[in-house]
Amino acid sequence: MSIPAEQRQREFEGEALVHLDALYGLALRLSGGDEPRAEDLVQESMLKAYRAWDRFEVGTNCRAWLMTILRNTFINEFRRQKSRPTAVEFDQVAERPSSDALYEADPEGRIFDHIIDDQVIAAIDELPAEFRVAVVLSDLEGLSYQEVSEVMGIPVGTVKSRLFRARKRLQERLYEYAVEMGYLK
Amino acid sequence: MNESGTRSPEGNRSDEPELSCEESLARVYEYLDGELEASEHEAVRRHLQKCRNCYPHFDFERMFLDYVHELGAGEESRSGLAERIREMIAAASG
Repeated sequence: MSIPAEQRQREFEGEALVHLDALYGLALRLSGGDEPRAEDLVQESMLKAYRAWDRFEVGTNCRAWLMTILRNTFINEFRRQKSRPTAVEFDQVAERPSSDALYEADPEGRIFDHIIDDQVIAAIDELPAEFRVAVVLSDLEGLSYQEVSEVMGIPVGTVKSRLFRARKRLQERLYEYAVEMGYLK
Repeated sequence: MNESGTRSPEGNRSDEPELSCEESLARVYEYLDGELEASEHEAVRRHLQKCRNCYPHFDFERMFLDYVHELGAGEESRSGLAERIREMIAAASG
């Protein structure tokens, strides 16, 4: 049975639109801080969600449902573009040996009390897309390796190696920031 | 009778291979993410109980991951976005 348009709109506003900021946050990280692209992604996902609203069961986790739609929308686009430039960036990162400079300079992790979130977010945004998406899905969204593998369409082993390298790369950036800011020498 | 046939599976139980520091550190994220098989998780855990070098390193990596996980919260969208979505929805209903 389809719901009358007015009731549907009202329900959607009350249940779905309230999650706008969470969706936007995810879209922004997935798209590497590109605000117009993130907004397009949220709009497209919200429209898809609205069209599929009859299939959403009120009372279940609406935020998770919307996040899945947004992820799928992003990933479809990401796969369409995959054969293009990011592959080169990705190989360059993959071939660099990873470094433990941050741990060696600050084994007690004092840096985590000093660093500004925006700097870490900027470091995530700077990661090549294939790494960034794995980090966002796993670390910011809490998906398991298996789930990340399904969403991204890559083997679990590749998820592991991307996460490993992406996290080391983040630490390298944090180390550089920490030295620049004078927290570490 | 073949001599090797006398070796029972139980006989190997206390003989599980020890992980080196390098092997443990290669698994650090899988360990902290709870993604290792039970036996491997246990092997890493046993290594950490004994190894004074790896334990602080794992601890540091845990702090790092905790920090990154906390960044997961939403970000405020620009004011026009909600309005545009409302308009789009109204148009899609019409």
